[in-house]
Amino acid sequence: MKVLCVAEKPSISKAVAGHLSGGGFQTRNTRNQYIKNYTFSFDFGQSWGQCDVNMTCVTGHLTQAEFTNEFRNWSFPPPEALFDAPIVTNVVDDKKAIAQNIADQARWSQLLVIWTDCDREGEHIGNEIVEAAYKGNANIRVKRAKFSNIERAHVISAAKRLVDLDEKQVSAVAARIELDLRIGYAFTRFITNNLRPLRGPMENLVISYGSCQFPTLGFVVDRYFRVKNFVPETFWGIKLTHLREGKTINFNWARHRLFDRMAVVILYEKCLAAKKAKVTKVQKKPTKKYKPLPLTTVELQKAATALLRMSGQQAMTLAEGLYNKGFISYPRTETDRFDRGMNLKALAERQTPDARWGNYARGLCDGGFQQPREGKHDDKAHPPIHPITYAAPTVLSHDEGRIYEYVVRRFLACCSDDAKGEASDVELQYGDELFSAHGVIVSERNYLEVFIYEKWDNTIEMPKFTVGEQFEPTEAMMTDGKTSPPSYLTEADLIALMDANGIGTDATMAEHIQKIQDREYVATVDRGGQPAGDPEQNDNEPAPASRGRGRGRGGRGGGRGRGGSGTTTGRRGIKLFVPTQLGVALILGFDRMNFETSLGKPFLRKEMELKMKAICDGHTTKDVVLRESIAQYRHVYMESQQKLHVLKSVSLAPCDERHHP
Amino acid sequence: MDLASQLHSSILSQSLPPPSQTFVTSLIAARNPPPPLASLVATAKSRLLACDLSSSPSLDSASLAVFPAGVENTHLREQSLQRDTYVQVLDIENLSLSRWEQIEELESIEKGERTRGREIIRVTADQDGSGGEPQQQQRATPSNATHRLVLQDRSGKKVYGLELRRVPQIGVGKTKIGEKLILKAGTRVARGSVMLTPETCQVLGGKVEAWHKTWTESRIARLKEAIGGDQRA
Repeated sequence: MKVLCVAEKPSISKAVAGHLSGGGFQTRNTRNQYIKNYTFSFDFGQSWGQCDVNMTCVTGHLTQAEFTNEFRNWSFPPPEALFDAPIVTNVVDDKKAIAQNIADQARWSQLLVIWTDCDREGEHIGNEIVEAAYKGNANIRVKRAKFSNIERAHVISAAKRLVDLDEKQVSAVAARIELDLRIGYAFTRFITNNLRPLRGPMENLVISYGSCQFPTLGFVVDRYFRVKNFVPETFWGIKLTHLREGKTINFNWARHRLFDRMAVVILYEKCLAAKKAKVTKVQKKPTKKYKPLPLTTVELQKAATALLRMSGQQAMTLAEGLYNKGFISYPRTETDRFDRGMNLKALAERQTPDARWGNYARGLCDGGFQQPREGKHDDKAHPPIHPITYAAPTVLSHDEGRIYEYVVRRFLACCSDDAKGEASDVELQYGDELFSAHGVIVSERNYLEVFIYEKWDNTIEMPKFTVGEQFEPTEAMMTDGKTSPPSYLTEADLIALMDANGIGTDATMAEHIQKIQDREYVATVDRGGQPAGDPEQNDNEPAPASRGRGRGRGGRGGGRGRGGSGTTTGRRGIKLFVPTQLGVALILGFDRMNFETSLGKPFLRKEMELKMKAICDGHTTKDVVLRESIAQYRHVYMESQQKLHVLKSVSLAPCDERHHP
Repeated sequence: MDLASQLHSSILSQSLPPPSQTFVTSLIAARNPPPPLASLVATAKSRLLACDLSSSPSLDSASLAVFPAGVENTHLREQSLQRDTYVQVLDIENLSLSRWEQIEELESIEKGERTRGREIIRVTADQDGSGGEPQQQQRATPSNATHRLVLQDRSGKKVYGLELRRVPQIGVGKTKIGEKLILKAGTRVARGSVMLTPETCQVLGGKVEAWHKTWTESRIARLKEAIGGDQRA
């Protein structure tokens, strides 16, 4: 029997061919210089048995949906006609040779096996491959290999357990493609046609609309106004310190701070009048700092932007490269729990040759191993991101090495024990006021030894206090401070907001963030105010002045509870997002035109994202979703058309004259 | 005992503000034959808690204690109330939150949005359920919050009340304007502010509908005015 295997990209095709053939395959060129056909034989088991295999690939999507020629003109038929204009799906010109190669090879084969990445997009590409194959052989049978990394044993086992292509996922992507096309084109033409005649900076621009980009921009604009409109306020507090056994202990006021001076004066005077403070509680108990959860795509992007000074998109490109080379598992995953059946110890063992973490990995294998924590997410397709084989630093580029290092250290940390220590808490009553002091002594660092991105330091060792004991505090002072504005969004903040509000998928978030920059809706500045430039120059960047005194609202509740999510090295050169004048105008314009369903808000897009998921789960169909979503966006379109003057007036106003609605 | 004195003593036994004789008699005379005692007491309760404590003829001025002279003196570090004193709430503020924080939250609720962690949630009037006061649907008050109230006695005198210890029934969104409290004898007063504690402050409930409405509607404006003042200072 003859089998045609098709992967999503050349690297996977070659790796799979290598594993299935045991290295002995023949290579033939095709009319596309990047695409080779590999031939070998392989025993697929099941009902297929020993087969002659021809393995090839595509380079992502083969086809493209577009409007017919009658709809090429931007002003006529009017853009709203695009909501129900006919759509044709054709093979893209530069992919024609690839599609032809598949059709030609299909002609000689009885079975087609799809080896695209196992996610929604991959499922759709798989379907495009099937369509191309049918052109050569309408009777070919179709199967799919389900895999999440290209390690040898995993690939062979996937080849011996072929499944069917998931039509529901294919439909979901088809719906998404059609909606993006109709909505994107209609609004892009609408906005551009109407704003261009206003001249000024918009005269030559195409003002492109995307249903994910606008809400993403909306988050940036929203934060911008929160920073800009912020009004600082004075607050007052009581600071209590006590000197004992040569140590100065700071006690925190239970009320933290109050925004009224007289109230604090009254409470403070009552403390002083009491003269002595009384110890109401002394507690020592073991405490832990939890090891991290297994790594998801969103968390990888957040870590890369916050700790490694990369953009989310860079991080994804590098991770994708590491996956294609077989060093890490598939980097697009929502899963934060490892399957109990996975042999994680064996994966840790492969890391023992490394000079940096090899010894640590050895320790895990020699008895230190602990089953990772289990998060709540499981996409049922891929495990959390983890290293597959060991990659020596010499085989990786500098930046690939840094992403690989993060993935490995995170994985080893997951397989370690939590960090342990002892917490001491002392509570006092002084007058009517309550105060408390908290200290931690770290006894076992465990995962922190390898996970260098987190810190947990000893605080002061608490001297002895006894319940019921009374003493005169060394110092009790009334303090004051001012609140400071929130900071502009970092990329990690933006990713977290998109994630929480269902904007984009873990796989596409970074692209949307890049797009709103490319389109000049937002710009980035370095933390500290300078435009983003050479990050090395900011090594001695002082902390922003507003943080010096009384940490303000940003500091509330962020102190000890959260536990070392940032490190000092991560601080440098972090980029902050601020909207451009155009970005502000677009969001304010849509917020004011469509009060209920502004395109600058996440609600409509979130609904659409949920509908895609519902298609995949079989709860609804592509046709229903298309009908509903198009009706919603058409409604917004009509409303925008009626209130066009609003968009025009905010776009004309100089930036300073705009106020938040 | 006749119905009037029965009603009078039942009202007092519920710690309600002491009613005037005319209030009691007119309540009984309103229907003939008068309804049972229990429903008369219920009617009396809702009217007394909804009246303007500083001026209502329904109350018996002679038996209502007022703040002692000099209670508002900010130079006096410590004094105390000699008698149980009925007061009504004219204003409430949470001193633990910055005004700006409160303004931001109220404005986002006005726009029909609320945040749950990082998630932005659309709030529509019908989802809200409460119907009447969507503005008041704010976050729960944390246990270390400190409130300051403006309290008014029978004579119309206004004094600050400061939560020395948390009184669970007090909170922005929970406490109504016109709500009645009893400040028990022995309640301490420091620099013109009455110290509120769960032991000395008994919350009776009630509200003056019109006052509460005005207060709710003008809250953002008042908060904004307050930070305007802070900036100039």
